[in-house]
Amino acid sequence: MMGSLRRIAAVAGNTFLEAVRQKVFAVLLVFGLVLIYGANYFTEFSFQEQFKFLKDLGYAAISLTGLLVGLLGAAQLIPGEIERRTILTALCRPLRRWEFIAGKYVGLAFLLAVMVGVMAVAVAGVLGWKEAQLIAREGSDPAVAAAIRAEARDPRLIQAVLLVEAKLAVVAAVAVFFSTVATSTTFVIAMTLMVYLIGHLESVAREQWLESGEVASWMTKAFLAGVAFLVPDFNLYNLIDEIVAGNAVHWRSTLEVIGYSAVYISVLLTAASVIFEGRDI
Amino acid sequence: MSAAVRAEGLRKEFPLGWFRGRVLALEGLDMEVQRGEVFGLLGPNGSGKSTAMKMILGLLRPTSGRAEVCGHRAGTIAARRQIGFLPENPYFPNFLSGAELVRYYGRLSGMGGALLEKRILELLELVRLGGEAGKRPLRTYSKGMLQRAGLAGALVGDPEILMLDEPTAGVDPAGSREIRDLILELRGRGKTVIFSSHLLEQVEDVADRVIILHRGQKLREGRLEELLTRRKEWEVNVQGLKEEDRKELRGWLEKRGAQVVREGAPRERLEDYFLRSLPEEKRR
Repeated sequence: MMGSLRRIAAVAGNTFLEAVRQKVFAVLLVFGLVLIYGANYFTEFSFQEQFKFLKDLGYAAISLTGLLVGLLGAAQLIPGEIERRTILTALCRPLRRWEFIAGKYVGLAFLLAVMVGVMAVAVAGVLGWKEAQLIAREGSDPAVAAAIRAEARDPRLIQAVLLVEAKLAVVAAVAVFFSTVATSTTFVIAMTLMVYLIGHLESVAREQWLESGEVASWMTKAFLAGVAFLVPDFNLYNLIDEIVAGNAVHWRSTLEVIGYSAVYISVLLTAASVIFEGRDI
Repeated sequence: MSAAVRAEGLRKEFPLGWFRGRVLALEGLDMEVQRGEVFGLLGPNGSGKSTAMKMILGLLRPTSGRAEVCGHRAGTIAARRQIGFLPENPYFPNFLSGAELVRYYGRLSGMGGALLEKRILELLELVRLGGEAGKRPLRTYSKGMLQRAGLAGALVGDPEILMLDEPTAGVDPAGSREIRDLILELRGRGKTVIFSSHLLEQVEDVADRVIILHRGQKLREGRLEELLTRRKEWEVNVQGLKEEDRKELRGWLEKRGAQVVREGAPRERLEDYFLRSLPEEKRR
């Protein structure tokens, strides 16, 4: 067991190091940070609106940058190694194929966690900066100052960070799954994006169809059940929007969504390992 | 003691895609490599050398037949622990330095800590990438340096067997000579070396036994001495023989019923001449 963990850590460390040394990820991180910083200059609104705008844009930047990094990173994971044939010199070692898959995934998930973490700290920094500016300008009234502080130091944002990380971790697992059957990075990116879109649309489509009151054939039911089972429901992560909008979201709901993500990730990585086990390299 | 590698009826077919049938890459290969041997897999491109190697490494599944490595089924963790592999081209993560590459492969082989660090230094010295060279990124290495770094990576887990797929392809004569010397040094240390090549002169210098493959089939197998020695002929190289003595010697031989097949001043091999022409420091 310890041997497996050590080998997984070696693959994960190498995956992380590769991403760090590739300029594209640094460029994406800078893009995200600039977006977050730029949001600070919208000062035409009330302070509540300014904070909401900052959080909205900040978390959109984190999600978008994380999605790009997740997609590009995951697409490189296995097809990239096969294209460059570096996989030959790794898999000829006493390394099990599932350890390779797990190591690759952990490395990417760690990269995403670091990027989301860095950008979340940047959002918190910009909120703190805005808080200081607004208190200096409008905070002579203690009640207004307290309201500004409450907006800037919202502890629920931790829930939002965790949910963003969980969502990106699921996207990365979907990409890893496709990368074990794919022969090109383009295929992995296209398939992952398709699942991402279906995952956003499936619950909306299901609800609309249920509200229409039509009597479903068994084929329609089977199809909808199949889609619901195979494709993660990305609408569950809309809790992030609720938090950013200032609405209370119970920790239990957050943990349920994180648990749902963990189950999907486990299933996807297990399926990826089974497929990869039988593949000729 | 079990053989280093044993293959029985090893066969591989690759599917060409839907409704397009299959292509045969290797047909029923039988071979046995003894421990401590330097064994050459020879053949033109597409003869099945790399396919055979990949099946022994567990990277490809045989369509039928089986292979064993030191008594373990090929492809199992126990079998892979016994093999170090150097691929034909430098398929290494080029964002790593030479030392980082060896460290990564060492960790994948289950090593770590001070033991691994000591091994990295030893191996980089062995392949002459010690000091600053080992700290440079692989993308700044020449082909010869990459092959040597790869060799260090292949040796990190102290495997019993070393598999080298076209180790000197694309390497200049000096680099090629270095790799050949390393193979001989490893044989001196008791390692089994299996390598594929289509550069036959180099094989001749190092291999004990060879198999010749063509279009997936084994054509010949044997010790080089047996395969290459012309038993009916005898060769003597002499110095200082005068012209009149040569004629007399030829007459003497013909009188005794011998047939002179060829005669003349021996030629040096171009590789040796080229290496001798280089300044001393460039030869190594």
